[in-house]
Amino acid sequence: MSDSDRRVARGGPYVGSPIIMATVRVVMPFVFTFGLFVMFHGADSSGGGFQGGVIVGTVVLMLGIAFGIESTRDWIGPRLPVALVGVGVLAFLFTGIGSVLLGAGFLEYAVYGDLGIPHASKYGIEFVELAIGVIVAGIVTGLFFAIAAGTTGGESA
Amino acid sequence: MTPREIAVVVLVAGGAFFAIVAAVGLVRLPDVYARAHSTSKSETLGAVLTLGAVAASYGIGFNTLKVLLLLLFMFLTNPTAAHAITRAAHELGIEPWTGDEGDEP
Repeated sequence: MSDSDRRVARGGPYVGSPIIMATVRVVMPFVFTFGLFVMFHGADSSGGGFQGGVIVGTVVLMLGIAFGIESTRDWIGPRLPVALVGVGVLAFLFTGIGSVLLGAGFLEYAVYGDLGIPHASKYGIEFVELAIGVIVAGIVTGLFFAIAAGTTGGESA
Repeated sequence: MTPREIAVVVLVAGGAFFAIVAAVGLVRLPDVYARAHSTSKSETLGAVLTLGAVAASYGIGFNTLKVLLLLLFMFLTNPTAAHAITRAAHELGIEPWTGDEGDEP
């Protein structure tokens, strides 16, 4: 890239770097898997929904940094982060209030065993961790786009 | 000392040495490009040697595989992060230090 092109690139649209794009392409699926791994480990060891959700949200941040924030925003769309947060909250409430409806306390997973689910307590915790992870990933993604929009002015995520 | 202990001590000493070199470079070098050069190379090597010591102390097993994967991703991501930072600095128009204008900038 010549010097004049570089000067155009400074104020103009983002120009991708092949090194960063290639690395992100290679690393991205592993980061996503690692996020899910951390989420499911929250039940009985270190990790959990919050940490795993942040790691999964980082995947979108890496895409934004490598391929340009505007094109990533167009690809993700404005509704997906909000939908993720909504679905996560609904899943959490469904699990929590469902146990109340079955006659136990709030989030008392063991009662789901009566419905024929094996290891109800373990899978209940993992389901709730997954819901928390989805909420956190949606919030991290939405906040990233909202903050990035501030530099160009106007539109929100 | 067993051969494995000797290997672990040598790897940890090498890792600590390169980490200290990276820290000294970060404090002493003049501008963002020189500092990124110091931290990306020395720090990557320091972290990789230290993780190699961890892998050597675990022996053969599942934990070693995890540490080796971590080592591989350290090799991939650390230089890329340094590249991204220096590229952003260049696009912001930060001129490299050439030593022409007096001593330290």
